[in-house]
Amino acid sequence: MLVPALRSTFRGIRHNSSYPVHQFAELARRPSSLHQIYTSLSTDPYVNLSIEHFLLQNAPDQSSILFLYANRPCVVIGRNQNPWLETDLRALHNDRNGAPEEEEAVFVRRRSGGGAVFHDEGNLNYSVISPRTSFTRDKHAEMVVRALHGVGATNISVNERHDIVMARNESDDANEPLTRKVSGSAFKLTRHRALHHGTCLLDSPNIHDLGKYLRSSARGYIQAKGVESVRSPVGNVSASLADSFFSMQGVVGGIIEQFARLYGVNPDAVLRAQRAHANEPEVFAGDSWVAGTVSEVQGEQEPDIAKGIAELRSLEWKYTQTPRFTFSTYPIEEDPRERPPLPASLPSSTRAFLRLQHGAVVESHISVSSDESIASEQASRVHAVLNGQKLHEMTLAQWSEILKQGLGGTRGIDDALVKELARFLGGLLGG
Amino acid sequence: MSSVARAIRPFASRVLAQKPIAPICQASPAFRFPRGTRSFSQSPLAQLKKYTESHEWIELADGGKTAKIGITDYAAHSLGDVVYVELPEEGLDVAAGEPVGAVESVKSASDVLSPVAGKVIGGNSLLEDKAKTINESPEGEGWIAEIEVADAAELDALLDEAAYKQTIDA
Repeated sequence: MLVPALRSTFRGIRHNSSYPVHQFAELARRPSSLHQIYTSLSTDPYVNLSIEHFLLQNAPDQSSILFLYANRPCVVIGRNQNPWLETDLRALHNDRNGAPEEEEAVFVRRRSGGGAVFHDEGNLNYSVISPRTSFTRDKHAEMVVRALHGVGATNISVNERHDIVMARNESDDANEPLTRKVSGSAFKLTRHRALHHGTCLLDSPNIHDLGKYLRSSARGYIQAKGVESVRSPVGNVSASLADSFFSMQGVVGGIIEQFARLYGVNPDAVLRAQRAHANEPEVFAGDSWVAGTVSEVQGEQEPDIAKGIAELRSLEWKYTQTPRFTFSTYPIEEDPRERPPLPASLPSSTRAFLRLQHGAVVESHISVSSDESIASEQASRVHAVLNGQKLHEMTLAQWSEILKQGLGGTRGIDDALVKELARFLGGLLGG
Repeated sequence: MSSVARAIRPFASRVLAQKPIAPICQASPAFRFPRGTRSFSQSPLAQLKKYTESHEWIELADGGKTAKIGITDYAAHSLGDVVYVELPEEGLDVAAGEPVGAVESVKSASDVLSPVAGKVIGGNSLLEDKAKTINESPEGEGWIAEIEVADAAELDALLDEAAYKQTIDA
């Protein structure tokens, strides 16, 4: 049973009471909680995505939920994407090596589909969870567009890829693209529920160089199954409001208002949800609604959320969930593209091919000799040590060690060459 | 998902590795009752193909020990172009309602839920290279998983074709 906390401030407000934060999960699951609006005080992407997933799995089937959050700098790839292809792992925090520094961008694989995106504090994420039967892919993107129009960004609309784009101003440079993407969407569908979450670049300080996190130097060598990102020029919503005052809170308020209008939410709930400036987690509820702020506290208190966070943080989920792919420094039948030239420090006969399944090597050919029979012997010796290795566990030192074991002792191979090859491969593959 | 060794293991040898098929009571598609009529027998083999509200189908093989699972024509059409299919791992035990794969289309990830309890024999490796087969033939070549059914009587509780059609027309 839910017992409202007797906080004197809110005593006397009918059907609209403050609850201790630990009752968040209970209120979210409550069958009568048909409208729920939350904003997050956490900027941890693993926490926010797991609270969102908890709501997808546990809120009543007929409920409609709005969840708003902003993450620390991070690259978030789609469920069926390849981090070696979609990100520059070397520009991101090395998650195989302890906790990230304050400023470092982290790598995240989400549970929904779609492509890779960059987030930071200037990017607002909106998430709507609703019954699957009444869901369409544009419904909530249109809702966000109405909110952006409301703050004065009138040159914004939804395109055919369900993305939100900003049209070029007449006064802009002729070289400026016709549209810039300000928001991308992804979806997760379950038996009865549809989750639509999207980014919204409001005022990202990294807008001019966020591409560097999404550019892999191994792109020319990798052929991957799964989903490849579609690249688009991006922009900040704030750029279209050069002369007027812009605030993130204004957009948050606008989205809450539009959500309330779309789903007929009780005005008391809207009032409570608009208190998003609060620094303390607090949850309010009426007979048919819940509104408030959430944070890391929910992750610590609710076992299902804690489980979700642990799963998203695990290297298994981040790396071994990767669909099958090949890496090859020379054209192969399934990937006949011309390859970038090898570094001058390596013999031109150098060949490196890897086939990976669940992020682990299942087939390989790494050799340096120009003599076919020596090359094939080198390749089979390297494969004997490389087979089954998980690519994300391969540091530069391990590449050196494995190549030394495999190639060492054959004619014309010295330590310097082994090191050079290790540096080349480790560099391309985030070692 | 299965390892390479498992994936290349011929289908026939996997089938032969199963327990011998009970010779009695084999139903074939010709046995199916006309659409709309109710089976007077409660035998799970009387109707080979059943549906779920979440748009999966399950079709029992002759003998009633194994079944194939996929998504319906309606689901494939409403999801749009399928770009990737996550196949289940061989040997995975699934309960009814648990994921036996997932399909990605137009930025959407959707779980494919097993209509009944069972053990995964394998995924449809054709989909690894040709995910679009799901759009072309969702209830045929585009099947997603094959399972050893724990209790064929569980199929009785699922929707028949007419009842499923009603849920999507509603």
